[in-house]
Amino acid sequence: MTNISNLSLLTMILFVMIPVSLSYLYSLGIGKSAIWSSLRGVVQLFLIGYILTFLFSIPDWQGIGLWVAVMLVIASFQASRRGQGIPHAFLLSLSSLILIEVFVLSLWIVFDIIPFRSEQVIPMSGMIIGNSMVAAGLAFERMKNEFHSNQGKVLAALSLGANASQASQMIIRKTIRAAMIPNVDRLKTIGLVQLPGMMTGLILGGASPIEAIRYQIVISISVFSTVSICAMIISLVTYRFFFNQNMQLQTIEGGND
Amino acid sequence: MKTIMEARNVKNERVDDVHFELMEETLTTMIGPSGSGKSSLLMLLNRLEDPDEGEIYFKSKKIEQYPINELRRNIGMVFQQAHLFDGTVEDNLKFGPRLKKKWSQNLGSELLEKVQLPVDILTKDVSHLSGGEQQRVAFARTLANDPEVLLLDEVTSALDMRTVEWMEKLLHRLVDEEGKTILMITHDLKQAERLGSYTLFMNEGRLEEKGETSELFRHPNSNALKKFIEA
Repeated sequence: MTNISNLSLLTMILFVMIPVSLSYLYSLGIGKSAIWSSLRGVVQLFLIGYILTFLFSIPDWQGIGLWVAVMLVIASFQASRRGQGIPHAFLLSLSSLILIEVFVLSLWIVFDIIPFRSEQVIPMSGMIIGNSMVAAGLAFERMKNEFHSNQGKVLAALSLGANASQASQMIIRKTIRAAMIPNVDRLKTIGLVQLPGMMTGLILGGASPIEAIRYQIVISISVFSTVSICAMIISLVTYRFFFNQNMQLQTIEGGND
Repeated sequence: MKTIMEARNVKNERVDDVHFELMEETLTTMIGPSGSGKSSLLMLLNRLEDPDEGEIYFKSKKIEQYPINELRRNIGMVFQQAHLFDGTVEDNLKFGPRLKKKWSQNLGSELLEKVQLPVDILTKDVSHLSGGEQQRVAFARTLANDPEVLLLDEVTSALDMRTVEWMEKLLHRLVDEEGKTILMITHDLKQAERLGSYTLFMNEGRLEEKGETSELFRHPNSNALKKFIEA
């Protein structure tokens, strides 16, 4: 693989200047933010590069354990921000993500899909946790929005004798469906519209395309499955918080982030 | 005549010290300005909300003493908007009975007949129905549970005159022939006169006046009711 030199990297400033100039030209007001985000991105990536180098140098179980734990906490915090107003949103996100990570990692290892090595487990777990984080955040947000916009239907269901679970079925279905649809679409067009990130990375790293797609299949199917599981867990647990003990609908305050 | 429901000094943030009795097999109308607490009162009677103070009785027992699903099935409620569930008319009609595993195709046909809708509408998606048809399906959906009391929240406000006339006949039939007890909110005073044996007048969360409809309309006591009738 060809190394990108520091000098070559510096030329990327030119690329950053394009959106910055556009911002000033059209008074978009995002010039400072574009510079700051680019700088922050570069620093963050370098930092991660050094952290990963360190993690890959220590025993696998330590490296994996340490970094997966960090990813789980950050992802849970981020997902729970979208669940503002929902009780225990952080704990719920954390336990869902832990469950999902343990489930996927066990399958990968037991079926010998990938070896238990930091270089393999950390980036692949990152993709699973990252996608599940987005799914969890969207599920929180969707549940709040659906309960808000379908209040009348939920009340109608309760007045017909439904319990909280029965009255929430339509909302739970919509939430899980909403989490699954983008992944169904993504799987349909995978490789046709753009090469997925992981596959691109492996090819750039010198792997053969056939080897790269094997990894991509593993990650795409795993993401599809975990995102669905994550949305299901979040919606099946959180619907209860929209009702009190007398099966009466209660409002959950808290804006969406 | 027996009392089937009773509210004693019921109070919450929108309803203030309301006290009334609902007689079995009667049609009572509830009138009053917007925001006077009428809909909130219906929610309390259906136990979709609980009062902060006071008690509500159904057949001489506090409503808290009944299993909540059973209570709600027995005190059916139809909302101002249809609030139909996604799916077909049949999906909506069988929602209540299916919870008790009592659904049959015949019941669907009977219900549609009752609300004067053609039977072939059963398989139609509710999004393809007109507003009036949706309201009738919502009504039939509540009747599917065969409730003893019906709480109706301005169910005729979105209907055309012909459908309103038909609906009023249906309400009378439900009371006279099927022994239902109905409490219905209406904004139409003429409708209240046509329909109700009894009328409750709500104003600013308080039950300002109650009594026989004709008497109440002829001799209103409070200035609020006088103004409301004249408006």
